[in-house]
Amino acid sequence: MPSTPTQNAPLLTASGLKKSFGHVKALRNADLTIREREVVAIVGDNGAGKSTLISCLSGAILPDEGRITVGGHELELGSIPAAMEAGIATVYQDLAVAPHLSVAENVYLSSEIRRGGLLGRLGVLNRAAMRERATELMDSLGIQLDNVDKPVEELSGGQRQVVAVARAVSRASRLVIMDEPTAALGARQSRIVLDTITATRDRGLSIILVSHDLPRVIEIADRIVVMRLGQVAAELPASEATVARIVGLMLGEQVPSGREATA
Amino acid sequence: MTVDVGRRSRLVPLGQLSTTVYIIVALVVIVAAFALTGPEGRFLSLTNLQAIGRNSAGLLLLAIGLTFVLGAGHIDLSVGANLVLSSVVSATMIVELSGSKSEVAAGLHPNAWFAIAAGVLAALVTGTAVGVINGLLVTRLRVNSFVVTLGTMGIATGAARVITNGSNVPNLPPQLQADIGLRTVAAVPVPLIIALMAGIVGIMVLRHTVFGRHTLAVGSATNAARRAGVNVDRTTMLVFTLAGFLAGAAGFLDITRFGTTAISGHETTMLQALSAVIIGGTSLFGGRASVSGSIFATFIPTVLLAGFVMVGLAPFYQGIAIGAVLIAAVWIDQLRRGRLRPN
Repeated sequence: MPSTPTQNAPLLTASGLKKSFGHVKALRNADLTIREREVVAIVGDNGAGKSTLISCLSGAILPDEGRITVGGHELELGSIPAAMEAGIATVYQDLAVAPHLSVAENVYLSSEIRRGGLLGRLGVLNRAAMRERATELMDSLGIQLDNVDKPVEELSGGQRQVVAVARAVSRASRLVIMDEPTAALGARQSRIVLDTITATRDRGLSIILVSHDLPRVIEIADRIVVMRLGQVAAELPASEATVARIVGLMLGEQVPSGREATA
Repeated sequence: MTVDVGRRSRLVPLGQLSTTVYIIVALVVIVAAFALTGPEGRFLSLTNLQAIGRNSAGLLLLAIGLTFVLGAGHIDLSVGANLVLSSVVSATMIVELSGSKSEVAAGLHPNAWFAIAAGVLAALVTGTAVGVINGLLVTRLRVNSFVVTLGTMGIATGAARVITNGSNVPNLPPQLQADIGLRTVAAVPVPLIIALMAGIVGIMVLRHTVFGRHTLAVGSATNAARRAGVNVDRTTMLVFTLAGFLAGAAGFLDITRFGTTAISGHETTMLQALSAVIIGGTSLFGGRASVSGSIFATFIPTVLLAGFVMVGLAPFYQGIAIGAVLIAAVWIDQLRRGRLRPN
């Protein structure tokens, strides 16, 4: 990925996010900026605050303090509908699709394309349009599926997760958050999912990827954000990253050439 | 990339289609068997076929409602009791409004049609109310629908008997049977026409509307549906409300069929409807449902009953036959799906 979207205009800015669960300080003053058409990987040890941070961005968690702006506008915190409204959609590691429904039905679940006029107001679906648009979408994400009418239960794990990615992409106008989308998948299936990320960026969206797969993260992301103890400990361009260096940052080692974030 | 979204996608999904085809074949075999073994020409006589159609109408309405409930991953055991309660409320309303006490006792019903219209409304409101209560208990109290509807089944049955003191409601206007229940249009019984129209609407709603998709999504994977933005509680409320409404309609058809209520005649009605829905290819665990399968499968119990009577077997054999068909149907379905599924 030779592009340098690190110069693009900022899309999302989170500043001073704090969140405690009882005595546990999951986030202590986390700052994050995502630029337009940028793929940002968030890495960190378990308990570093990755999930809490992205849950704040997706509206699933209300932070105790801090603010988030998207496209220059203040985001209402702790509201999934508000985040969706602002153009943010999330892909979870599991529980993402309804296995009995078809690919097209899953992609458009809860944002179904309806017929025009009275029929549409009665909730009548435009199945042909849903099929066509889902096919185009899968095609543009580089997914080979012979038939979007197939029930999702007949797909492999990776393909199912791709359906979830397609749904997020079809809904997000700005940012897709992928929370360990490959955690439940094997290596080959993971690749199918990760391959959609580039295609997603090419559609003009920014992506936040949370993943433990460091070699692939370095390959796919533009920028890597390392979290440690509830804060952003370091950020570095993927071009300057190596697995050893990231692991070092995750464990709290000082790395001279990394841009250390101020706490 | 080549994607076949043309011909193949227009067809009914393979699983549903083949289940419906199996049922039609089974029905044809059963009908043929009775036609051949019964008294000559009797089974296929118009009178007998009309009787089967009339007897199926209420069951069809229950089965359509249950298809949605099961599709959403729930169960409604109360539909049979709801039918009885709705018929009792409706019949009581009709008797009250159709004339003065002495007129009604003398078999006179000066306000018959006004009373019948009110009776239709009473049945639908009662049935819907039971459905709404089921939905509220399931969504608000988060009690399992099996338990909730087992409870409301008992409550509705008890309430029906409290209202009538245990006996059936007498002295209903004869127009109920003469002009509705026993009436035919182009040789098709009116109650069957009503039920089949509801069936066609049910097929369209399940397959072609947002509500239908959400019903199956909730039944397929509740959490995934919720995360995708489906209003799970609203969908759940709606399926129980729909099942209740249709049970209310079936309650009204029931009094047009007999000219009175049938308080003790519906002990096995819910089980027949439930069996039909499952035989028809709807999954007991949600996510997969076929209204057309339910409709065809509903005729299996009614055809069997009519046939057993005709060939001189005790009608009690119906229960045995339905039980066997139910188990066999689910077993065959599991085999078939086991083959379809990869890995």
